[in-house]
Amino acid sequence: MLKRDRWLSWVFLAPAMILVGVLMYYPMIGTVIESLHSTSFINPKPQFVGLDLYRRVFASSEFSAIVWNSCVWTIGVVLLQNTLGFLTALLLNQRLPTTGLMRSLILLPWVLPGVVGAILWRFMYDPQLGLINSFLIRLGLTDQGPAWLAGASTAMAASIIAAVWKGFPFSTVVYLAALQNVDQEQIEAAIMDGAGRLRRLLYVVLPAMREVIVTNLLLTTILTFNYFDMIWVLTRGGPQNATHIFPTKIYELGFGQFRFGEAATYGVFSIVVLALLLALYFLVQHSAVRRLVSAR
Amino acid sequence: MREKILLVATLALITSASASAADLTLKFWDNQQTESGLSQYQQEAVKSFEAANPGIHVEVTTVPYPEYQQRLLTAVQGGNAPDVSTIDQIWVAAFAQAGAIEPLDDQAKTAGITSDAFFPGAWASANYGSHLWGVPFNVDVWSFSFYNADLLKAANVDPESLATFEGLKAAGAKLTTNGKFGLGLFAHKGEDTVVVLDSFIFSNGGKVLNDDGSCGLTSAPSIGALKYLQSIAPYAPKGVANADSGSMRELFLNGSLAVEFWPALEQPTLQKSKLNWDFVDGTAPEGKKPVGTYGGWNLVVYKSSPNKEAAWKFIQFLTRPDVNGKVVDLIPANVKAADAFLRANRKGPDRILAQLNNAAPRPLSPRYLEVSDIEVTLAQDVYGGMDASEAAAKACKAIDALK
Repeated sequence: MLKRDRWLSWVFLAPAMILVGVLMYYPMIGTVIESLHSTSFINPKPQFVGLDLYRRVFASSEFSAIVWNSCVWTIGVVLLQNTLGFLTALLLNQRLPTTGLMRSLILLPWVLPGVVGAILWRFMYDPQLGLINSFLIRLGLTDQGPAWLAGASTAMAASIIAAVWKGFPFSTVVYLAALQNVDQEQIEAAIMDGAGRLRRLLYVVLPAMREVIVTNLLLTTILTFNYFDMIWVLTRGGPQNATHIFPTKIYELGFGQFRFGEAATYGVFSIVVLALLLALYFLVQHSAVRRLVSAR
Repeated sequence: MREKILLVATLALITSASASAADLTLKFWDNQQTESGLSQYQQEAVKSFEAANPGIHVEVTTVPYPEYQQRLLTAVQGGNAPDVSTIDQIWVAAFAQAGAIEPLDDQAKTAGITSDAFFPGAWASANYGSHLWGVPFNVDVWSFSFYNADLLKAANVDPESLATFEGLKAAGAKLTTNGKFGLGLFAHKGEDTVVVLDSFIFSNGGKVLNDDGSCGLTSAPSIGALKYLQSIAPYAPKGVANADSGSMRELFLNGSLAVEFWPALEQPTLQKSKLNWDFVDGTAPEGKKPVGTYGGWNLVVYKSSPNKEAAWKFIQFLTRPDVNGKVVDLIPANVKAADAFLRANRKGPDRILAQLNNAAPRPLSPRYLEVSDIEVTLAQDVYGGMDASEAAAKACKAIDALK
């Protein structure tokens, strides 16, 4: 590469680098620094406390509950969303008369603003006026219906279902695109070899979609771990902290109680988890590219 | 001709320069809790302030209540605070401790602004650490017991009985039948949960924080109130732990709930409904007077303001008896303005005034927001069936650890 071209490439890269640096890395580094200081609204002058806040946060029972809730929330949403998304994609990949219309309609939950979707589910879960309990009562399954979002045992499951409804169209779209790229010759060969639908799915379709599935799993994991509005609108992390996850806790500490240092500590933990997930994502991407190159 | 043009231009320049040197723009922020057209009323009042104070231009920013805390906090932290704003009574101590607002003792003394012009609890909420940090702007009390008179009549319940612990419980039992609910209790994560909880504790003679700042929730009267709330929970709609005052309002408006707990600001909503409604002043044990919990907002001047003098002038204007009632969507904090406002806009003005004069503010602590969060968990524990003494001990452990 000529020296002039190298300079030019830096010039073109500079705006993007500055934007990413200012909007992403600067606040991220600021968060790490803030987590080493005791600072809140009432003590605005930061006092360096080293790892004290980490020790305090890690020792609290609330932290372990939030880690547990975040795991249940993320794993639950990711698995259900991807399974449902994949099954829906399989259905929409068939040549049915209304496939085109269904492909458009299926996107509806995903294109709805997050808060609107959450409010919709809050209404549906309402113990007295909600659609879900009214349906259960009509079916004769219950007299009154449970208070879905008010019970520590049901609130998380109810929140997961709402999030899956909101997010599964994303997975459907990704899987549908991948399904349409599966080599038809391989499928036809499998049919000629006498493979049934299930075998074709297990031994031809799924292996061909492996990279897309892994990438989609990772992407939805990152998005779900960071998902704020659904839980905030449905439960605000309650009842008795049964649905508090990292983003809701960070918001509550920072903007609800003005405890910036502790909010930053939770934020740093979030950054570490997300950085690990991102590293995994890039690893998968890298190996997929290498496989493609070696296949050529 | 050329000289004339030059002379006119020079004069115009001098005039505009001197005008801009004298003119200042005062930034005023407030929040809106009801659909009352508050912003429009305030703009109109501002015009008369500007006319009386040439050179001061007021820029009014009205933020919806749910966004207000975050917007204001971000502005203060980022060094972009307005000159003057309303702040929730429960933020006063934190804003004062943070050094964000100016003490107003001297200005108030010079202007002759004294406590007797305001409701006692509202004035108390503006004081912290022996300084006055704000001037009460608007107030309300949590809570009045609003009732559906038709449902009470059908269940043969005397509305006056709702004013006592014993009567409310008995009414709850009678009214919870045939798919209807007696009492609109709620315990979601929100300040409405805390103010209702506090009013039951205060009315039973209990405290949230003792005078020395230690937790007062384990005292016998406080635990008594918690036990009482637990005992009336069966008469509330299902899902108390995630219910809020808004969801209780929906049930009340559709005729499924007999008694809801709201401040007086609920009245405009009920006036628009077809319900046959009325209210009693809170609930207390037999022989005691109900003590409500103050809600409301105080006007403060920010330390960072370059226009402190103008800001103080504006505060004096907004809290004047003839203005205060025109620029608030709750009840004016000025007693004279409140009297006129309530008589013109609310049912039962004397009962509301009696509640306002007997209400108590929430704890005046710079860590109040953390105390409030602990109280929400306490309410959820109690309604969830945890032993009241155990729940109070757990809450006190958390509150005392804040020190």
